[in-house]
Order: sequence, then structure tokens, then C-alpha cells
Amino acid sequence: MTSYDTNTIRSLVQPDRVHKDFYINPEVFEMEMERIFGRIWLFVGHTSQVPNNGDYITTTVARQPVIMSRDRKGEVHVMFNRCTHRGSQVCLEQFGNTKRFECPYHAWVFNNDGSFAGAPYPKGYEDGFLAKEKLDLVKLPRMEIYRGFVFVSLSNDVPDIDEFLGPMKDHIDSFCDRSPEGEVEACAGVFRYRYDGNWKLQMENQTDVYHIMFTHVSTTDEDGKQFRREGAEEDEAGKVKVLADNSTLDDQWEQHPLGGHRHGHVYMGRFAMDKKNSGPVHDRYKASMEESYGDKAEDLMTVKIHNSIFYPHWSIQHLTQHIRVMNPISVDCTENIIIPLKLKGAPEEMWRAALRSNNNSHSPSGMVMSDDMEVWVRCHEGLKTQSTDWVVLARGMNEKFSGVNTGSYESHGTSESGARNQQLAWVDYMCDES
Amino acid sequence: MLADVERNIEKYLYREARLLDERRFEEWTDLFTEDGYYWVPAYPNQTDPYKKVSIFFDDREVMRTRLSRLDHPNVHAQKPASRTVHFVTNIEINGDHDVDGEILVHSALQMMEFRLDKQTSYAGGCRHLLLKTDGGFLLKWKRVDLINCDGVFPPLAVPF
Repeated sequence: MTSYDTNTIRSLVQPDRVHKDFYINPEVFEMEMERIFGRIWLFVGHTSQVPNNGDYITTTVARQPVIMSRDRKGEVHVMFNRCTHRGSQVCLEQFGNTKRFECPYHAWVFNNDGSFAGAPYPKGYEDGFLAKEKLDLVKLPRMEIYRGFVFVSLSNDVPDIDEFLGPMKDHIDSFCDRSPEGEVEACAGVFRYRYDGNWKLQMENQTDVYHIMFTHVSTTDEDGKQFRREGAEEDEAGKVKVLADNSTLDDQWEQHPLGGHRHGHVYMGRFAMDKKNSGPVHDRYKASMEESYGDKAEDLMTVKIHNSIFYPHWSIQHLTQHIRVMNPISVDCTENIIIPLKLKGAPEEMWRAALRSNNNSHSPSGMVMSDDMEVWVRCHEGLKTQSTDWVVLARGMNEKFSGVNTGSYESHGTSESGARNQQLAWVDYMCDES
Repeated sequence: MLADVERNIEKYLYREARLLDERRFEEWTDLFTEDGYYWVPAYPNQTDPYKKVSIFFDDREVMRTRLSRLDHPNVHAQKPASRTVHFVTNIEINGDHDVDGEILVHSALQMMEFRLDKQTSYAGGCRHLLLKTDGGFLLKWKRVDLINCDGVFPPLAVPF
């Protein structure tokens, strides 16, 4: 097996192609866990998943089990799910409400802010030991919250969150500002599923317009329109569908706006729809938006982005209304968490439609997601062959694309610029030996 | 008399399972009333499909979209197609459901699925709300509560 240094890592990513080891090599994967996931801002959840004091969820961050809780004063904490005594996970429920976490092994207890609350038979310790030893559940080194989106870092030495997100902060804003109250709510639980493929296959897929009309051809009807993806139930708007011509790469797809920013973040513009949202529910939504935002309402209501893909492992799907977290489990296994988001203060009918849209397209039985997963698994299996070492990502190489991970760029249509931008950032993270 | 009803319900549920196993999805969809639905909640003890996400929550329109997709020549997630067998057992009529013309039936369900060298098994409690008709029954709804409903799933295609 090759042992990877900066030079060999660099050689995996060429301007228009990438080496198969980028996806399938376990040693590369371990380096990613250390140099990418161990060093930059990761997404844990949304504060609305723990709305009340004492609420908590359990999840994983870069393969490590964590608890996100809200303490009795309303502060949110993210801590490792590991007893500071002998190492047992202190909580295995997916969510709940508690004043204290109690370890099953020797009943050490911790308050819901993680602070150590006591151990049975304290006299067995030397005088003062329990008081002076640091026994609180260990917090993740850094945590930042932006509009309810909770970020953590496994390292203290991490770039400033504003600098890291850069213009992608506007994407979070643009999602939240579709709510008349300026807030989104993750109040419907989550979907979780796994596929046997590398995490980056999905990261690249989300910025890939080229595959839509082929991978998802079975989700379009005879007119080439996809099933209902947006709007409100019992409303004219509820009949708005994704318009797609599945037989040719027509102008609609080729002109589709794409773009990205430094640090590997990319996005896809809004998909064309077969008509504008309209109807009584839409009118109510418009009225409440105008009440909150005045003249800006019309602009804020307009979905301008299809998805915002934040490096390294999560995205906002603006149209379907969910956060997607892609947690690497191993080099060839990835776990998805889909967190649907409600626009607080918008008509209930819109939320019902959004929830159903999530069920239809992105549940484990989702008509969109299951074809994507099929393709990623086939890619991962195919890449293991000795056929050829390279994956070709040359679409759109003739367009203006800086080719360095320093700033923002715009692109369009079926270009593979999104994957290339992610890979440039990947090289920079992986070769940073500081 | 009750034995006859029970026997007819049993036959009905067996046929429903067989339609799925034989991928006769259009006929399966036709078992439902026009306002009928198929629901597989993603969390235990759900009472309202609009409170939490669902693995399936299909009205007739979504059923038709989903199941006609399974017949599409390029439904990649089902090429090759899954083979399934549904086991239906522990059939009980709910004696407390007292609505004229309706029968609420509880059963236990297991579905074995084989695709691409992998065999997967699912199990759960099942409820059918049957509407008595001249010729037999129509389904007002079918609900499946999987024991792993809030677990981690591989991709799913065939209804339980």
C-alpha cells in the first residue's frame, strides 16, 4: 500500500480528473478524518431539535458519538457521549428530555449542561479528588451557532466561522428569511440511511446537473415533468412540478446557474418550475411575508437556490426544505441524516406539502434518493477495478474557472466545476501540514 | 359466520401480499379507496402523519407515481429488481372498532427482500382498515409499524 505524503496526495487531483484512490483508499480516508474532519467546522444539528430546556439529541460527528443538549438555562451544549470515568456512552436514546445523564456502569451522573454531578460512594476516593479532577462530560473543542445551525470543531485551532462560511452565510440567511418569523424549525424528526460508497461521491453528486435527467429519468412523466416538489396542499401552488426534458440536454439544464466559493463550498441555482406559485395559501404566505418584511417580501419569498453544499459534509436543500448531513462511517460507507425544516409562521398547508415532499423524494424509500444511492454504490464498486485509475471530470473545462481554491466562481449547466472546486479545497486541507 | 368473515379477511390479506410479491403494483393500488392511503411512520406510536416524517405516506396519486416508476425501464434502483416475500400472520379483528361497514384488522408482517446478493428482512405490526363492499373489501388505509422504523435504512422500493 502506498504511504501518502503531500506529493502523492497532490498527484491524486489533476485539473480535469481525479485518481480512484481519492474515493476508495482506506489510508486516504483516515487522513481525511484527521486533516479535514478533524480540523474544520462540522454541522451537528439545529437548535430547534432541542427546543425546550432539558431536551437533547444524540448523533455522531466524524464517527464520534455526541450529545447536543439544552441546559436548564436554555444554553445549547455539544459534548462527547462518553463517561469521564470508564468511557461508557451515557445516553443511547435518539432524543429526549432529562435533567441528568446517568452512566449505566457505576451511576456517575452529569447535569444536562455536561457538568459532573456526582459519583456513588465518594468516600472511596482520596479527599478532594472528585472536586479537583476535571470530570465534566467533555465539550467539543469549539461550538458556534448561526441562526440555529450548530457547528462544532474537533480542534481548537480552526478558522473563524464567518471566514470559513464566507458568502455561504447568505445561503443560510436566504433559507431562514423565507420564514415570516425569520426562523426555521426542525420539528419533524429525521430520516437516516446508509449506502455503501464514499462520502465524496454524494458531495459531488449534489452539484451535478448532468445526471438529473438520466439517473432520475424514472421520476419524470411523459411530459418530462417531475412529480410535485413544491407548493402547498389543496392549492394551485401544490401542483408546481420540476420541469425537466429527459430526452435532451436542453437549454434549461445547460444554462442552469452553478457556483462556489473558497473552502470547497458550492451551490446549484433554482430549478425551473412549470409555473409560478399561486393560490389562496400562497396569498396568505405573501401577506404574512409583507407584514414582516415590507417591500423586500417578494424577493425573500423567491427560492433562488436549489441547494447549498457546505464543505465537507452537509447541505441545505432549499426546494425540498431539508438539511442533509453526510456522515462518513468508513471509506466505503456513508450515513445520511435528512432533517426537514419548517418555515416558522408560514401557512401550515405549506409545511404539510413540504413534509410530504420530503417523504416522497428523500425518505429511505424516496423516489429521488434511492436512484442516487444506487449510482454511488455502483461507482464505488466500479472504482475498485483495475480498469483505469482515473475519473474524468472535464465537463466545463473550457469555461472560466480559476482553478485555485481562493475565491468565488460562477459556472453553469452540466459543468463539473462543482466537483473540481471541492477537490481543490480537499487538496489544500489534506496538504496542510501545520 | 364469524369464521367465514375471518377466513375472507385472511384470504384478502394473503392476496394483497401476493400482489406485492408478484409486483402487480397497479392491482395493489386498486385495492385502496380513492381517498385511501398507505402509511409507514418513521417513529413509533405516531397518531398524525403531519407531525413527523414518514418512510411512506402515499395517497393514491403518490402511489400511482411511485408504482408506475417501478415499471419504468430505467428505474436504476430496481435494476435488477428486488424479489420479495411478504409473510402475514397473527391476524386479529379489532373488536373495539365499531364503525358500520368497516373492519379494523391487526396482523404481524415480515418481508424478506433479496437484491444483488443481499438478503434483508423487515418486520412490524400491521393494521388494515377494510371497507366492506358487495364483492369483498376495499382498503381505507394500511399502516405498517416497523420495529426498526427509526433505525438506519438501506434504500427501499417495494411497499411492506
